[in-house]
Parts: sequence; structure tokens; C-alpha cells
Amino acid sequence: MSALPLTTHEPGADGRPGAAAAVLRQPMLWLLAALLAAGALSSPYFLSADNLANLLRQVAVFGLLALGMNLVMLTGRIDLSVGATMVFSVIAAVELMVLAGGVLEVRMMGRGNTYVGPAVPVVVLTLAMGALVGLINGLGVAYGRVAPFIMTLVTLSALRGLSYVLSNGRPYYLRTDTYRWLGEAHVGPVPVAALVLLAVFVVFAWILHAHVAGKRIYAIGGDEKTARFAGVRVGRWLLAVYVASGLCAALAGLILTSRANSVDAPMATGYELSAIAIAVLGGTSLAGGQGSPYRTLCAALVFAAGLNLLTLHDVNAWYQDLIIGIVLIAAVAAAVRLQRRDA
Amino acid sequence: METTLPTDRRVAGSAAAPGAPRQQRLSLDAVMGRVALLVLLVAAASALQPAFATAENARTVLLAVATVGVMALGMTLVLLAGELDLSIGGVAVISGVVGGMLLRSGSVALVVAGVLATGVVCGLVNGLLVTRLRVPSLIVTLGMLGVLRALANILSGGQAIYPEGIAGYLWFGRGAVLGVPVPVWVFSIAAAAAVVLTRHARFGRALYAVGGNATAAGLSGIRVDRVRLLVFAASGLAAALAGLLETARLAYIGPAGFTGIELSVIAVATLGGVSLAGGRGTIEGTLLAALIIGVVNNALNIAGVSSYVQQIVTAAVILVVVLPDSLQRREREA
Repeated sequence: MSALPLTTHEPGADGRPGAAAAVLRQPMLWLLAALLAAGALSSPYFLSADNLANLLRQVAVFGLLALGMNLVMLTGRIDLSVGATMVFSVIAAVELMVLAGGVLEVRMMGRGNTYVGPAVPVVVLTLAMGALVGLINGLGVAYGRVAPFIMTLVTLSALRGLSYVLSNGRPYYLRTDTYRWLGEAHVGPVPVAALVLLAVFVVFAWILHAHVAGKRIYAIGGDEKTARFAGVRVGRWLLAVYVASGLCAALAGLILTSRANSVDAPMATGYELSAIAIAVLGGTSLAGGQGSPYRTLCAALVFAAGLNLLTLHDVNAWYQDLIIGIVLIAAVAAAVRLQRRDA
Repeated sequence: METTLPTDRRVAGSAAAPGAPRQQRLSLDAVMGRVALLVLLVAAASALQPAFATAENARTVLLAVATVGVMALGMTLVLLAGELDLSIGGVAVISGVVGGMLLRSGSVALVVAGVLATGVVCGLVNGLLVTRLRVPSLIVTLGMLGVLRALANILSGGQAIYPEGIAGYLWFGRGAVLGVPVPVWVFSIAAAAAVVLTRHARFGRALYAVGGNATAAGLSGIRVDRVRLLVFAASGLAAALAGLLETARLAYIGPAGFTGIELSVIAVATLGGVSLAGGRGTIEGTLLAALIIGVVNNALNIAGVSSYVQQIVTAAVILVVVLPDSLQRREREA
């Protein structure tokens, strides 16, 4: 956990002596254990290898979005564009490949809107587009001084519109083996998608808790003016966190589209709100300065496990939405209450 | 344009050397800029599209503006208090479904009362969760959005209701008084009420004070939580009213409508110069913004531009209008 004096209310950081105790104090961990126990007891399929792999793939998408969101929220900002970025970056990458194919006279788009070109450039271009979207968000927020909610709302609606215009409202099918590998392959029993999430988590945890960059990001969220006076170049760090969030979204988009074998402009609608919900469930403060990748990851696991359990028990999607809404408000209310008691 | 209001933002602004008068002029500039943009847009659209400058089309623009406009009025009040309401789409849908269930009673008055009461109750629930449990309004209203949409689906069984034969209900969307459509009347009356409320009433002063600095407002004797509760109730009422107008106009009450409307409405308020940080903005600004968006969308419709391109253009318009304000504020702060 961060031992930064600027993040005073970091629960767990104040209990220095027992790092293990701090880990066990995470309510999300208890909730996860309860969900796993409930799942194991109530359904014979819950702990099956297939279901757990499925669960991990689902965690990968939401976990990546939430980790990026957590980073942005640590600076006291928000990124509403992640859902749109997921889809746009993949569509734009495919579109660019088709364009390049036209120049090089290589056929990239086969019959029935199926992409037949190489997969690796698509992956690289998707990540580049994600970073580009993040850069635009970051420039608007850091240097244009546009309210983050508005800036990313503008990119959200512009990117959704662009995705429709570029794809002409039709889905693209992505069926090359390399592309599918990302969404479907396993290393041992663990899906590749989950390993991607784990890698990103390790990088974020290292940056935030063991690198000077993390201290600056927490400092900006804790008290921006003080951070500025202390010589932190706030603008650059804002740019960096938005680019990171854009990259996370692009990665999540790759995983989602490789599982679905297709990409379609209205895909992933509303995912930004789920990502915010997960980050907040994990204790990330909307005001900035509080939160950790570890707790965000725990919350993503809880979110995915809960959804998985509801689906296994054939709970109607309407009731799922109802439960998610109530749990979100109740969990944050409980967290607020705990924090006030501690204070 | 702006009367001096006791918010900390303004006080902080006037502490800097040539503060207060300059700040007033700036926000006057911002309003005049929006008026100029609107006039320019109308002139350009009339010049390019002969179909634009007709009485019939003016009706179309105003009808389209009315629904989002009514919601934007409620949202402006919430934003001025420094809160946020993402649940309005859910409120509009659930109150429509409740109204649809009451349609069988045959009494239009009962239906309308049911719709509006549902909206107010939803708003009060939002407000109580925010003020009692101290959960940030973004989370409360995000959770409520899901809950209310789910309840609307469960209550209606996912089925749409078509109030085609009920003339009293349809009047709210399709009727006209003195040649002006009913939704436009409703929007105008709601707007006038909101202007009076924010500008001349004691409530308005309390509202700006709470949005500017809730602690200071509380210390100076304003009942902060009551103001918050009231703005959420007002936003719920506005959402239900907008739902009534829209479902009556389309003769279609469905549990799936109004998807993503919350973000469009926040965009309108922002375009009107309302700050998400609270305490800054005016109802007039929001009205101008609603008209700007309405004119842009209408002109693009007439030109046969697809709704997806419209989405991109609207996003660009918001950025173009908001960016100079933001940059100006930056200079003042520096």
C-alpha cells in the first residue's frame, strides 16, 4: 500500500504493522469469498473449470476498464469514453488496415464483411488508437481545462458516431486464428485474457506503489494545488493517466471483440458506467487521491463473480440490473459509514 | 446579467484585483456569444435550407427541444446545487409505465398525477439517499438508473403500451393552444418557473450558495440538505414531465426508451455554461443551449445528414462553445 503522507485516509495504509491484516480488512475480499462459497454451494457448475475460465475472461474486460478508470479517478478526474473507445479503436484499426490494403493492393476484407488480413497489425493499431483517444482526452482536460466529465462525454458521443459512420452500421467479423487466440486461448488452465489483466495490474501496482510516478498521481488527487507548488507537472501526468486509460480500453476492446469474433458499433454500450461502479466499489474516491489497483481488481472479481452467479441461477437480466443497482448504492453507503466511523 | 451572489467562487474572484465587474462582463460575453451563435446558426440554416425558415419547421424544432429542454431545466437546478442526476432516463421510463398502468382507469387527470407523483417520489429517493447516507450523487443516481429501468421492465413485463385511443393523454404531446403545441407551452411555463426560482426567490440564493460552498452555506444558516432534496425532487418531476410529453407525442409508452438521455441533457446544461462543480450557470444559458442543439440537429436533419454524423457534429459544437469559457477561466485563475 502507498505510504504517502498526502493520501491520509488510505485505509490499510494507517495500519502499518500488519500488511496481511490490511489485506484482510478489504470488505471486497470478504464479499468475494462469500460469493464464491455461495456459488460453490448452490451450483455444481460454478467451480467447474469451464465456468471459472469464463469468469476470468469476463473479469479481464471489466478489470482492465476499471484499472484504467481507477488511475484516472486517483487524479480526481473521470473517463466516460472508455466504452466507446473499446469499440472505436478496433473498428478504426480494421478500417486503417483496409485502407492500407487498398494502397498495397492486398485484399483485407473478405466476403460477408469478414476481415481476412493479418491480425498483429490490427492489435498494434488498436492500441495506438486507444492511446490517441486518451491523448485527446488528456489534452482537453489538462491543457484545454475542459471539465473531465464533459471532455470525455464529448469523446464518448463523437466516437460512437464515428464508429457507426466508419463501419456503416454493419458488424465486421474477425476470425483469424491469431486474433481469436487473445480471447480464447489458455496457458495451463488460465485464459490468456486473464493473464493480460494480471500483467496490467502488476504494472499499475508497481507504478502506483513503488515508483515516484505513483506518488505524483496520488499527490495530484490529494491536493492538486499543493502538488503543483511542489513542482509536480500536473498537465503531463494527467495526459499520462488518460493515455493509460485509453490503452486499457483498447486492450479490453481487443479481448471483447476476439471473444465475440466480431466488432459492431453499438457494442459495449454503458461499460463506462460499470467501470466507474467497480472502481467505486473498490474504494476509489470520486474526489481523487484514494484507491488502489489491488482493491479495484478485487471489486472487478466481485462484480464478475456476482454476475456469473446470477446468470448461472437463470436470474432474469431485469432482476440482475435491479440487484446491481441496489448493491452499488448499498456498498458505497457501507463504505462511507465505515470511513466516518474510522475518522 | 448576473446578480452578485454570495458564493465562495465569486468571493474568491473578486478578491483578485479587478475582480467582480470583470467577471460579470465575462459571463455576459459568454451569454452574448451563445446568442450570437444561435442567431448565426438560424441565419445560416435559413440561407442554406429554404425548408428551415418556415412556421411548420419552427414548430418541429421547438417540439424536439421541449422534451430534452424540460429535463435540462431540472438538471440545471441539480448541477447548480453541486450535485448530478444520472437517473432521469430511468425516472422518465418508470413514471411512463406507472402512467400506462393507470390508463385503464380512464381518468387522464389520474394518469398525469400518477406520472408526476412517481417522478417526484423517485427524485426524493435520490435526494434522501444523497443527504442521509452521504453517498455521492453520481453513485446514487447511477444505481437508481439501473434500479428504475429494471423496475420499469418488471412492472410492464417488457411490453410497450400504445395509448392510441386516449385523446386526453395524447393531447399532452400533440395538442395545441393558440396555435402553439402543448409541449412548447409546458416547456415555456417550466422555464419561466425555473428562472423565477433561481433568480428572484430566496430558494435561488440558497441554491447558488450550496453549490458554491456547501459548508459556508450551512454555517450561514441555509438548510443545505433541504435544498439538495428539493433539487432532486425537481429533477424527478422534470424527468417525469418530459416522459409524459414524449410518450404522448409518440403514442408509445415503452420500458426501453430514453437510453443515454442523461448524458445528452448534461451536455445541454454544460453547453449553456452550467458548471459541474456547482454554483455557476443560469437557466437562461441552458435554454439557449437547448435551442442551439435543437437548431443544429434540425438543420442537419433537413440536409439529410445521418443521426450518427449529427452526434459527431453536436459533440464538436459542445467543445467549440465550452473550450473558450474554460480557457478564459484558466487565465483568471492564473
